[in-house]
Amino acid sequence: MSASQAICAGWMDFEDTAAADAFRLEAEEAALAGLVDQYAGALYRVAFSVLRNPADAEDAVQEAFLRVLRHRDQLIEVRDHRVWLIRIVWNIVLDRKRRAKTRPETDDVAELARVLPSTGLSAEQMASAAQHHAQVLACVEQLPAKEREVLVLSAFDELSSVEIASVLGITESSVRSRLFRARNLMAGMLNHARSKARDLEPSGRSAETAAAAEGERR
Amino acid sequence: MNLNSHNSMGGAGTGEDTLRLIAGLPAPEGLEERVHTTLRTAPRQGRVLAWPFALRADAAWVRATAAAAIVMIVAGGGWGVYSYIQPLQAIKAPAVPARVGSAGEFSGAGAKRSPQTLQPPVVSAPQKPAESHPAHKKTHKKAAPQAAQNRMAAPASK
Repeated sequence: MSASQAICAGWMDFEDTAAADAFRLEAEEAALAGLVDQYAGALYRVAFSVLRNPADAEDAVQEAFLRVLRHRDQLIEVRDHRVWLIRIVWNIVLDRKRRAKTRPETDDVAELARVLPSTGLSAEQMASAAQHHAQVLACVEQLPAKEREVLVLSAFDELSSVEIASVLGITESSVRSRLFRARNLMAGMLNHARSKARDLEPSGRSAETAAAAEGERR
Repeated sequence: MNLNSHNSMGGAGTGEDTLRLIAGLPAPEGLEERVHTTLRTAPRQGRVLAWPFALRADAAWVRATAAAAIVMIVAGGGWGVYSYIQPLQAIKAPAVPARVGSAGEFSGAGAKRSPQTLQPPVVSAPQKPAESHPAHKKTHKKAAPQAAQNRMAAPASK
């Protein structure tokens, strides 16, 4: 084959290449769409457990999938898509939370405690549950960051300790030790908060009864 | 293995029930659709050079030609700048003596200091009183040996 023929052959190959690329692009987009259908809900829950705001959580999920879209050529290399996606959204939400640190979190905690499901409870029980949730969330915020992250992720039933370790980039034994420390700290803080609340019983009870009465009136 | 199966505290005393409630909250309806829409409208992967066709390994000669052209342009530009700057460097600046002394202060650039001297005051000699007596005495003292000599010589002459 002469040199000119070789060059022409190179140019003619472009059509085949373009068709192959279009096919590959379609396949990648189909795979991405499948990932969205399968894991968008799980990613939303992970994002919401950290950000505690529905709009922010949805933004984080969208940003995570946009990142996947940008690096969709690496999808073939990923073994566990679920853990990979959770890791992406986890980094996004941590970054967002760090940036929005100036915002007071007390409002978020109160709002979330009110939103949490409490069906089949009386008004007084609902008020008490909301108070408990708010107390727990306030204690979680006081935990050191490493322990808090493990505790939050351990609340997801579908994540094993190996997967949590993979998401956080640490070893499985570190996950266990951090979780142990987090639980101990939480127990201590909640006991302290309960004893404090018991000391302030009269005023607290009056507030509780007022909230219950308000709920019944509604 | 799930960590919750090993929760010795049962989650009640540690508040994990609350965290599980949050983790179990359902995603809002239509989330997947909204994500799909975002992905459809998002710009595709950015490229530094938007080629009209995909370049594969078969078209390596195109890349090689482009790389060679870029290298030629960069090298030519560099040589142009170099050749422009060379004549300017040939013009030598006049030699200037070192202006900074060894101790860091400004030097005199070799100049010798010649202080302007003042004319000394002219002092007039004081008026001395009459100095005849000491002079006379001295002359007498000096004259005495001469007289003695004369006297001693006289007998010899006699």
